[in-house]
Amino acid sequence: MLRSFFDRLSSNLFEPPAPNTIGTKIYYRLFELFTVTYTIIYAWQWGFYTLRLSDVVLPLGLAQYINVEIFLGTYFPLINAGLITLFVVMALFFDRSKWLYGVAFILFHLHYVTRYSQGEIPHSQNMVGFCLLGLGIGSVFFKEKRHSLQFGLGFVVFFLGLGYTTAAYSKLIATGITWVDGNHLWLWMAEKSVDVLSDEGAFSYNWIQEIALQNRLFATLFLTMGLLTEFFAFLVWWKPFRTYMFIAIIGLHMGIHSTMNILFLSYTIGLFIIGLPWYKVINWTIDHYQINVEGYISRLKEIRNKVQLFTTHHSRRDISHDL
Amino acid sequence: MEREIISKMKRTLLVVFLINAILVSTHKGEFWPFSIFPMFSQAGNPWSRGLVIEVDDMNRKDLWETKSLSSIDDRVVALREHGIDDIDYANFISKTKNWDEERIQALRNLFQIEQQGDAKWLASRVTGHLTEQDSVVVKVIPMFLVTSDTTYKNPDLFK
Repeated sequence: MLRSFFDRLSSNLFEPPAPNTIGTKIYYRLFELFTVTYTIIYAWQWGFYTLRLSDVVLPLGLAQYINVEIFLGTYFPLINAGLITLFVVMALFFDRSKWLYGVAFILFHLHYVTRYSQGEIPHSQNMVGFCLLGLGIGSVFFKEKRHSLQFGLGFVVFFLGLGYTTAAYSKLIATGITWVDGNHLWLWMAEKSVDVLSDEGAFSYNWIQEIALQNRLFATLFLTMGLLTEFFAFLVWWKPFRTYMFIAIIGLHMGIHSTMNILFLSYTIGLFIIGLPWYKVINWTIDHYQINVEGYISRLKEIRNKVQLFTTHHSRRDISHDL
Repeated sequence: MEREIISKMKRTLLVVFLINAILVSTHKGEFWPFSIFPMFSQAGNPWSRGLVIEVDDMNRKDLWETKSLSSIDDRVVALREHGIDDIDYANFISKTKNWDEERIQALRNLFQIEQQGDAKWLASRVTGHLTEQDSVVVKVIPMFLVTSDTTYKNPDLFK
């Protein structure tokens, strides 16, 4: 019975939604492009910020075993950002280099634990971390690019569902069902208002916050909806519920943003790309407007093959020259 | 062929899931990117954050006094304008237990205070808690006055 459950689960997670269609191919590539784009953005943001750090307050991840303080006060963070960028770009464009996603993930983890060694444990970048890890593992264990993308996407969906559901369990274990009491939201709103004041130098409550502050029942309702969404988030594992659950989770993040001023931008963009059935939209658009996508793709492949031939030819020439 | 691939994906996911379970259970729920996402799990607990206040007159009488948020909100330094992460600063000022020379220097580095001209910044901790009457009380506690060449400690806290 357990075996059949896992078989059904893996089919739901890993089987492509509309196999052998252009829409599915573009959907998978969008997921890859999102991962690469945000990996590069974070790599450089963290790289430049780490230059101003000089002390480790709270070691996270591998930093509990490696003293990352040796990277502080050096240009290592910028070199690391450069390497991560190079590796993910190569993996994106060249199928033979896709294993570099795995190497990039290790460097990216090191980059994160160096940057976030100051006492904060942020979670807004976890989505990008999961995406890169999924692509890394997929690229190492599966030969064909389409299989590594299939694995990567299913892997992210699995850990997203798991993460939100464990978050709900954490709340129920640490506080109990009284977690949803509206006065807890008041306390968090005050806390986050101090963060905004510190960041921007000014703060004022919006209308949703004003209503929540004046009406404890409304605040309680808000927390109840949030907890229920998190609790049932594991339903994203199953195809029939996936889109609806992702919309509910995006709504949860909008709610967190409007009440507590916390915006997980990359997380929300990731949810938007991964969770909505873009393959259907793309397939419909191609059919409806009779777009010759195959022609564009074969032209792009020709260009890529020429670049590969050019680089191979030059590296061979370099070797023969050395000989 | 496809079934074999899906089966291999299932086994790979299972192995990673087990690694995830081992890592988060032995590292207090966090081993990036793996996490049980425990943020906001403890509701109603008092919190501690940070603010930096611009000081015009270093000799003002209430410099080191604990204040309310409304009395200082027009003098708060916007950390974003100085390239400082407000969450980093909040954690730094609220979680540091032992303020030795090295840690004070790290605070100065975070501010890059030598590059801020003749700025006089009052690094403060902000605390909040729920009262028995279910209202929220927020207090601003000055910790250090940081200038381009000196760091002054709050004499009431560091005796």
